[in-house]
Amino acid sequence: MQDALAREFATAFEAVRGVVHLVPTRATAAEAIVRILKEAGITSAAAAALPEGLQEALVAGCGAAGIALMQPPYLAADLPLSMDGPEAGITGMAFGVAESGTMAEVCDEDSVRLVSGLPRTHIGVVFASTLVPRLVDAAAPMRAIFQQYPKNVTVSFISGPSRTGDIELILTLGVHGPEYAHAVVITEEQA
Amino acid sequence: MSSPRKARLEAAIVDAIEHPKKRNSLTRCMKRGRDSRSERLATLHGGAAFRQEVKAIKTRCIEQLPELQSRFIAAAEARGCQVYLAADGAEVAEICLRIAQERAFTQVSKSKSLTTEEIELNDDLQAAGLTVIETDLGELIIQLVGDKPFHLVFPSVHKMRDEVAEIFSKETGKPVPPDVDAIMKVVREYLRPIFLNTDIGMTGANIGIAETGGIVIETNEGNGRLVSSIGKCHICVMGMEKIVDTLDDAMMMVLAHPVSASGQLPTTYVTWMGGRSPLGVDGVERESHIIILDNGRSRMREDPAMQEALRCIRCGACMNICPTYGVVGGHVFGHIYPGPIGIPWTSEVHGLETAGDFAELCISCGLCKEICPAEIDMPLMIAEVKQRDAEEHGYPATNRMLMAAESMAKLGCTTAPLANWSLRQPWMREIMDRFLGIDKRRSFPAFDGQTLNRRFRKRARKLRGAAPNAGSARKVVFFADLFVQYNRGDLGMRAIEALEAAGCEVVLPKLQGCGYPYIGYGNLNAARDAALYNLARIAPYVEQGYAVVTPEPTAAYCLKIAWPKLLPYHPHAKQVAEASHEIFEYLLAQGFEGGANALGKRYGFHCSCHQRPLGAGAGVQAWLKARGAQVEFLESGTCCGMAGTFGMKAGALGYDLANAVGEPLFELFKGSGVEAVVTESSVCAIHLRDGTGLPVLHPLELL
Repeated sequence: MQDALAREFATAFEAVRGVVHLVPTRATAAEAIVRILKEAGITSAAAAALPEGLQEALVAGCGAAGIALMQPPYLAADLPLSMDGPEAGITGMAFGVAESGTMAEVCDEDSVRLVSGLPRTHIGVVFASTLVPRLVDAAAPMRAIFQQYPKNVTVSFISGPSRTGDIELILTLGVHGPEYAHAVVITEEQA
Repeated sequence: MSSPRKARLEAAIVDAIEHPKKRNSLTRCMKRGRDSRSERLATLHGGAAFRQEVKAIKTRCIEQLPELQSRFIAAAEARGCQVYLAADGAEVAEICLRIAQERAFTQVSKSKSLTTEEIELNDDLQAAGLTVIETDLGELIIQLVGDKPFHLVFPSVHKMRDEVAEIFSKETGKPVPPDVDAIMKVVREYLRPIFLNTDIGMTGANIGIAETGGIVIETNEGNGRLVSSIGKCHICVMGMEKIVDTLDDAMMMVLAHPVSASGQLPTTYVTWMGGRSPLGVDGVERESHIIILDNGRSRMREDPAMQEALRCIRCGACMNICPTYGVVGGHVFGHIYPGPIGIPWTSEVHGLETAGDFAELCISCGLCKEICPAEIDMPLMIAEVKQRDAEEHGYPATNRMLMAAESMAKLGCTTAPLANWSLRQPWMREIMDRFLGIDKRRSFPAFDGQTLNRRFRKRARKLRGAAPNAGSARKVVFFADLFVQYNRGDLGMRAIEALEAAGCEVVLPKLQGCGYPYIGYGNLNAARDAALYNLARIAPYVEQGYAVVTPEPTAAYCLKIAWPKLLPYHPHAKQVAEASHEIFEYLLAQGFEGGANALGKRYGFHCSCHQRPLGAGAGVQAWLKARGAQVEFLESGTCCGMAGTFGMKAGALGYDLANAVGEPLFELFKGSGVEAVVTESSVCAIHLRDGTGLPVLHPLELL
């Protein structure tokens, strides 16, 4: 079931000009992320809301590859300027939607949104086990999230890179936020 | 509509027709929107079924709005938001300025919000000394040149890349090459410091959710995320009709909105904000102000003729299919809200007078209603706007005359030889053009010397009362409508004989035309009278088990759709609707196998707009194919432009606009190599004959 959903997610995310990387574990996810960064010649990145285990592996991987990786906690006084520097942002996702190639990022402090929203490259990490089949099915996990956060919370659905067709309807990516969007899908380990 | 207003509108139409480059960019944008929507629907789970769900959700939520609004406010406040109710734009501006002044904020960056455009909020804020920057690229382009949106979803679609490059080179003081990628780089660099130094991040809300007290912001560029996360304080201006009950309701909107607009699922970014989060982990609280705008919405909710407009989710699908909007664009067809739904919305929030200035551009084809994700009956609401405008200013003389087309047809029929001769005289057409407003270039079908009812009565006398199939279980009331009644009684008789060949007993009570012109030109009371007259004469038969059969698609549309809507409490309207059929659909269902052999013939089929919701001419196409003909369904994706008698009217707001709309369809037919066009609509037929030069047949002619 989740395998089929992961494939459907991949098709949908790539249809909106994103790039999908299917990996079995957190460790291999970290490797995939480092490879994405290296291949794009990226030397500075920021991470936020990553699942336990992945964060540590990524720090090690980036260190070995000579990539400067910013990590939380991010202090309000440094923001938003500190996030204008990194070339890539890497954020963990609460769940995904297969049908539409959507990843849902959850945060109760907005530095996470800046990590995924300001750099030119965004890499989202989502577990296949969290994928729901259709967009309308997302109401259930959303309800759980909003109940879990009775005060402030922001959920961001992200389906591919920033796009516009405002000039002559020509599809153009990256007008404000990420021009390149990657989804790293962890297929075997559970969230 | 008074004559200076009409003259202004006509001049704008002429101008639009004379600027094909702008028009083509708009047409391309609309076609892209329609095509990608259809492509998505082909694979979307449940296809177009989401429309019924959206309609049900919006109807329920508008009904419960006061309660949902209270719950939304309580829940949003529990999440730390400050919520305000604003009666109008002035109150919104006052609230925003108070927030800015108390905090000494000067920099406002906005993500796209039609609601703030509705109240022209930027003007008020800028007048008070604030710097306001639109960050959606399309909105930014039109802001920099002081323009208004040309299209709801693509506001700057009329600006070509060289113009846009010019705009940004002026703004940044650096040369910008007319290359889309280069422009994007400049825009990104231009906007980045604006995002980073925002005091107030201002957004609209596509949805408010009572269950969570949260709002939803949909964008493709991601500017909504940056504006709402970076700004020291967030202000959201939301129309009160955006509030839904549950997250499930909201998710359906998140699906319906982009699917209808451009076939996307969902927009690239959907931001679900529940309260405002601190910027960093150190947890300093930040403000979120939600201003709920009324501005006429409560009144709309209480107005039975207008409340459906509150179901609008601002997807722009109606303008992607609107034939006349496609020619003139949103600057002519709209005030701030453009397109079909722009007419009732303008009437309610910017005044009847303003809506009346462009309401005549609606030719009542009804395609907007068929594509609307909330199934809003725009044609009927627009008719109401036209009626209210006419109560102030009277109906334009030509419209008044065309609404009474039946009395003219009757007269033409009684005086057929003279009438037909006169209609062939250029001097007569000149007089009609100048004084009656009937375009002299338009051809007219000749009047028949006797009505269909008369032919039928004569035949009955000949048969000495022995009606064919008397006592048959298949009984039919034949609803002729105007064309076969007054122009082609011979075709009417062929239709009746075909029904009889299928074993039906046919009766022809004395009926009027279906009265659709009254809807098109905005006289709903007269439309109701026509419906009442006909229903009173049809209903007794239907009670005895008769079916109602008509050869005219618009008449079938009235019987099945418009009358029950116009007369929701009529005791028989729904029953008659259920018993009503288009003739070929009915003949096929009766196992009718007659008609000429059409083996080897190649026809192009034209479906009239009113026929689309009835099955898009499936019956007649199946019948033609069963006769051996090759049938190609040719369509431009919108109306042919004739729209009943609209295309008969003289000049820009009639013949010329009808032709500009019809041109792409004419080209399709002319290039298709078919030997004739087949259509069941008697008026589309005139337009297609004039426009393509091809023979145009009513399928009854092939019986």
